[in-house]
Amino acid sequence: MANGLAGTTLRINLTTGDIRRLSTDEALYRRWHGGRGITAKILYDEVPRDADPLGPKNIFILNAGIMSGCYIPAGSKVEFGAVSPLTNGPGDSNMGGHLGPTLKFAGYDMIVFEGISPKPVYLFIDNETVELRDASGYWGMKSLDCEKKFKEDLGEDFEIATIGPAGENGILFSCITHDFGRQAGRTGQGAVMGSKKLKAIAVRGNKSLQVKDLDSLKKQVTGIILRTQKHPNMVPWQKYGTAFFIQWSNSNAVIPAYNFQTTFYEDIDKIDGDKLVEKCLITDKACFGCWMNCGKYTKAVIPGKPEVHLEGPEYETASLCGSNLGMKDINHVAYLNWLLDNLGMDSMSGGGVIAFAMECFQRGLIKDEDLEGHTLKWGSVDDVEHFLDMVAHRRGIGDWFAGGTKRAAAKIGRGSEKFAMQVKGQEMSGYDGRWAPGMLLSYMTADIGAHHNRSWTITVDMAEGRERVEGRAKIVVYLQHIRPLFDTWCICRLFWGELDITPEEIVESLNHITGWGISVDQALRTSEMIWNLNRCHYIERNRDIGRAFDHPPARAWEDKIPSGPGKGKGLSLAQIEKMLDEYYSARGWDKKGNPTRELLRDLGIDYAADNLEKLGFLGEPIPGGIPPVRGEKYKPKAF
Amino acid sequence: MVIYLKAGGELRSRLQPDVDHYTRRVEAETGKTLSDILIGIGVSPAFVAFAFKDGQLKRLDYLPSDGDIITLQPPVSGG
Repeated sequence: MANGLAGTTLRINLTTGDIRRLSTDEALYRRWHGGRGITAKILYDEVPRDADPLGPKNIFILNAGIMSGCYIPAGSKVEFGAVSPLTNGPGDSNMGGHLGPTLKFAGYDMIVFEGISPKPVYLFIDNETVELRDASGYWGMKSLDCEKKFKEDLGEDFEIATIGPAGENGILFSCITHDFGRQAGRTGQGAVMGSKKLKAIAVRGNKSLQVKDLDSLKKQVTGIILRTQKHPNMVPWQKYGTAFFIQWSNSNAVIPAYNFQTTFYEDIDKIDGDKLVEKCLITDKACFGCWMNCGKYTKAVIPGKPEVHLEGPEYETASLCGSNLGMKDINHVAYLNWLLDNLGMDSMSGGGVIAFAMECFQRGLIKDEDLEGHTLKWGSVDDVEHFLDMVAHRRGIGDWFAGGTKRAAAKIGRGSEKFAMQVKGQEMSGYDGRWAPGMLLSYMTADIGAHHNRSWTITVDMAEGRERVEGRAKIVVYLQHIRPLFDTWCICRLFWGELDITPEEIVESLNHITGWGISVDQALRTSEMIWNLNRCHYIERNRDIGRAFDHPPARAWEDKIPSGPGKGKGLSLAQIEKMLDEYYSARGWDKKGNPTRELLRDLGIDYAADNLEKLGFLGEPIPGGIPPVRGEKYKPKAF
Repeated sequence: MVIYLKAGGELRSRLQPDVDHYTRRVEAETGKTLSDILIGIGVSPAFVAFAFKDGQLKRLDYLPSDGDIITLQPPVSGG
């Protein structure tokens, strides 16, 4: 058994029911670092470019990475990957909780699912026992209810990942739920799971992991524990989690309100973190190996509706299902969070889809008769509940919205594409980029479609000048390399971002675990290799120059912010094109946004250059050659 | 009056701690808001999401008292 690894990879053919146990390929981990890295590599190598993301030739992967389950801060993550039905490109999403570590404690590093089961099944893992079991009795159940039922049937010590009706019905922004509130929400991984008739994965494991140098790891990590316990920001984090930041986003004109029509929400006091703690909080909640406890277990109480319990809302949901929908009560935001969780929809894309539909209703593009006699007014939780039921079950125009905002806009037309707030088919996170150009560029260029966790630059934009676009690209490239590393290693990034654990310390932990002896620069290079492989994969599947996929919806440059502290601010299309030019240059891509052979050779993935060349999308050589180092670590000016 | 401000991360480097790794001693006029005090020491309030004192959240319009120990919370960098 290699250090940090459990030792076995499962290959499961759902069509035939065949389960193969393979020795985990340590060399593959050494090169791709697990998590989203290995996922990217397997998807690139094995999924035919014309495969339907919801068809039998797509592959669905669970990977717990190298560091998950080890004695390190928040080594809790598990990564899911498949070609995304939402973006039609390589997709991945991760969740905290306890599933990743437990999978490794059961003896498995990765599970690769192929084919489609002829009937609903779930994967049962109890240490050595691995079985596909009939899930007919669970099919149709909502996510949170289903997890509870599995725990009742199998035992509390099983960790469960499940989908809800949305995943079963092929809603393209479906999520996977675990631990009653942890979701792998992005890129529609729940829809892929549903297409394979895989309702759930249930795991129990009680083995241990071997690491290279346990004494050094214990010494280092114990020091980190003691240090972070004294960190001044630890207690506020423990008490408030992430929802408290929506006030800051509002006062700094980045919060989305009314489907990103503006960046100021007049009723922010009614839905902010104070109200969450005051009205909804039940207790704090933590993932495996974490002493931050940023999860908030809450209740939503609305007269005339059942009291519901959930985890959240955290920042993204609070903004996208709060201000972005015009909600005026934190209980309503929490209730919508619960609805989306239980239906098995990503609450980020879900919030974006609802907001888009509300703006369509506001503009008369959809009407009461399209909504089975209901309305869809800003701030109406009842309207949203009915609309979500239409979407989850694909009734009427709910079917249009089941494919996300991009596809719905294509159906609705009449200019609605302008305010379908997505890139590459994936809905934007809870920040408006019109007065934060680096953030907009981050969305535009993210390999999996708009998503803040690939790069987040709001404070960089504020420090460097919010109207200025020059110089932002290199920082975005750096962030796009360092932030996804955490998804590659399957650890939470909050200890780095919020509690001053340095990348050098994390790589030191990685070396204590594996004995690899790598540097941060080497890790960043691996991350760059993953990024470029995904870029090639996206271009190969979608058959156009890269630049064709990298633009935001026209609202980003046609509409200035109409109210609040950002009133009148916005970017021009020329500025957006300039950012793309700088970005491609910083990456060593040509002006069309296509990776060059020189770059791909430098990264050791020449085969991707060969494939691009065959399709006519290989980047033209860069005069003077590619930059020796791509990306630039941000060195802040005075705030 | 004298107050003590604490911060981690990039905010810490802006705060320029002088008491310990995270803490800066600040002399300020009574009656000034936390926001004004931050501006007075060259830290833009825009980079502070909220403050935290004695286990309670404080907004930047908070009026500190002599001896207050206040933690400055930077915005979450994408959860």
